[in-house]
Amino acid sequence: MKKYFRELSVATALGILLIALAVLAPSFYSPQPLLSLAARASVSLVVACGMALVIIARQIDISVGSMFAVCSVCAGLLAAMHWPLAAVIVASILIGAVFGAFNGALVAGLGLPSIVVTLATMVTWQEGLRWLRQGEFVNLPEGLQWFGLSQRQGQWTMVCGAILLLVLLASAMRHLSAGRYVYAVGSDAEVARLSGIPPKRITFLIFVFMGALVGLAAIMNIAQSPQVDPQSGNGMELKVIAAVVVGGVAISGGRGNLWGVFAGLLLLACISPALTHFHIEAYWEKAIQGVIILLAVVAEGLRKRKDLGHG
Amino acid sequence: MNANRHWRIKNLFRHESILLIVLVGEWIFFDVVGRNFGTYDNSCDIFRHSCEIGLLALAMTPVILTGGIDLSVGSLLGLCAILFGKFWRDAHLPIPLAALCTLAVGALAGGLNAALITRLRLPPLIVTLGTFSLFRGLAEAITRGVDTFTNFPSSFLFLGQERWLGAPAQAPIFISTGIFFWLLVHRTTFGRTFRAVGFSPEGARFAGIAVERRMALTYVLAGVVSAIAAIIYTARLGQAKADAGNGYELFAITAVVLGGTSIFGGTGSIHGTLLGVAAIAVLQSGIVHAMQPSEMAGMLTGALLIIALAGSVLPKMISSLRARRSANKLATPIA
Repeated sequence: MKKYFRELSVATALGILLIALAVLAPSFYSPQPLLSLAARASVSLVVACGMALVIIARQIDISVGSMFAVCSVCAGLLAAMHWPLAAVIVASILIGAVFGAFNGALVAGLGLPSIVVTLATMVTWQEGLRWLRQGEFVNLPEGLQWFGLSQRQGQWTMVCGAILLLVLLASAMRHLSAGRYVYAVGSDAEVARLSGIPPKRITFLIFVFMGALVGLAAIMNIAQSPQVDPQSGNGMELKVIAAVVVGGVAISGGRGNLWGVFAGLLLLACISPALTHFHIEAYWEKAIQGVIILLAVVAEGLRKRKDLGHG
Repeated sequence: MNANRHWRIKNLFRHESILLIVLVGEWIFFDVVGRNFGTYDNSCDIFRHSCEIGLLALAMTPVILTGGIDLSVGSLLGLCAILFGKFWRDAHLPIPLAALCTLAVGALAGGLNAALITRLRLPPLIVTLGTFSLFRGLAEAITRGVDTFTNFPSSFLFLGQERWLGAPAQAPIFISTGIFFWLLVHRTTFGRTFRAVGFSPEGARFAGIAVERRMALTYVLAGVVSAIAAIIYTARLGQAKADAGNGYELFAITAVVLGGTSIFGGTGSIHGTLLGVAAIAVLQSGIVHAMQPSEMAGMLTGALLIIALAGSVLPKMISSLRARRSANKLATPIA
């Protein structure tokens, strides 16, 4: 009970919000808007899963928004060249993995701080993309939207796919040795190394995996609209990091799980529609997000302080 | 000990002198390639456009020196800019009083960061990520995303657009802020403890330094300087909008790290930061004057940051590899 205090408190907050919505604004639960909301949230969920791994391993990746934009535009261009859908998906994931590998090589290989490395790559990819494309939208061919299915089916595919990924990853993190290695490296890289775990290789692979997930999320995002917006990844990094932190992953590494991240992401994703249903102006969304992040860390800080006091 | 110190001073000197050479090289290159680059007018222009980011970078240096980070400065700039407009237009305060209130807001916002980070011992990255969202969100909520403050009196716009004694009017503010931070970090015992705190907080505490208070001060200063930058930003553009200063925090951090300050704290200098700001500003202006797309400047800034980082690590890696190899050689006969 105490071990999962953070996850449970986020889940409780989410539950209260959902109940409040059910009582005060039942129109929130009309199926089609809810499904659209879930489909949009599943894009962030895929990235958030990767970010959770990165943060559990005591690193951070703020270049995800830029990688997301690059993958989206590349995938859009390939699709416009009439590549088959499966090839576009694979290509997008691979492109993401290559960008992730670049981050990983600098962080794990040269031992540079991940926050600065990904800050630099974020600026570089973002400006490079703007330079090459001048902010141009990419028009997608007919078959790509909703993966060639109907809108409903496409949205269900995305939601189910994202949840399947979450379940697989969450159990892998708990039961596979690879998952435990991530926690070990994040808790103490030196101790991990002494017990035979290669922290550098693990860190590198986590960044590659993060990039691959960003590529996947990019495909899921462009499939939701007839055009690719090259600015779609703007500010994604902070949104995703916020969800991960609210979900109880410690920024100092080694603690947290994906179910908490899931709850944190849903909580943040529900704010904006909840505001409209409660008739509060949408301009408050960012401020409320900020307050939620601060409340989450303050709760953690107070609890730690209490524990220290008793110990 | 003495040799070690000597080596360290030499090394610090090396980073900043390389940056200075890069800066001079940039200047000469763009002066040859670009049109009207090396003129006095253009220098004033470069200064004017980089003044706000320069101020933020100056204030960010002590924060990073103590091992912290402040992601909220850009958002705070936005919040302060629109509150300044609010004080002046809606509360009918005279400009100087409105500016004073804005500075108080900046100090208060910095104080919020400081209280959360030092009182509750929360990680600065996450606290300032939260306030990053909070400050920008408040700015958007107050203006409802559309309200813009314009029509400031020309006596106020003078600060951002005109010249005073031949120099851009914001120069005195920037220079005095720069001197203040340089003296604080390099010439006072008080400010020199920033590095001790960043190098080892626990060690600094045992040495009798009030670690929390030092850290708190750096965040409050960052808040005040963000407010100053907000006022100058408003004067330069002649308007205050909720998106003012979007992304400035990343530019400021880039300049600080490019200037040789370790992101983990403990080492770094104010003059390094100033050189970092100048290197980025000259690059941005030069690219435009050389008729190249402005996005290239952003790309090159990112690349420069990676090269600077890799350059700071590679010599250490090579020497440790060498040490390992010679250790292996020694070990072989025994084994």
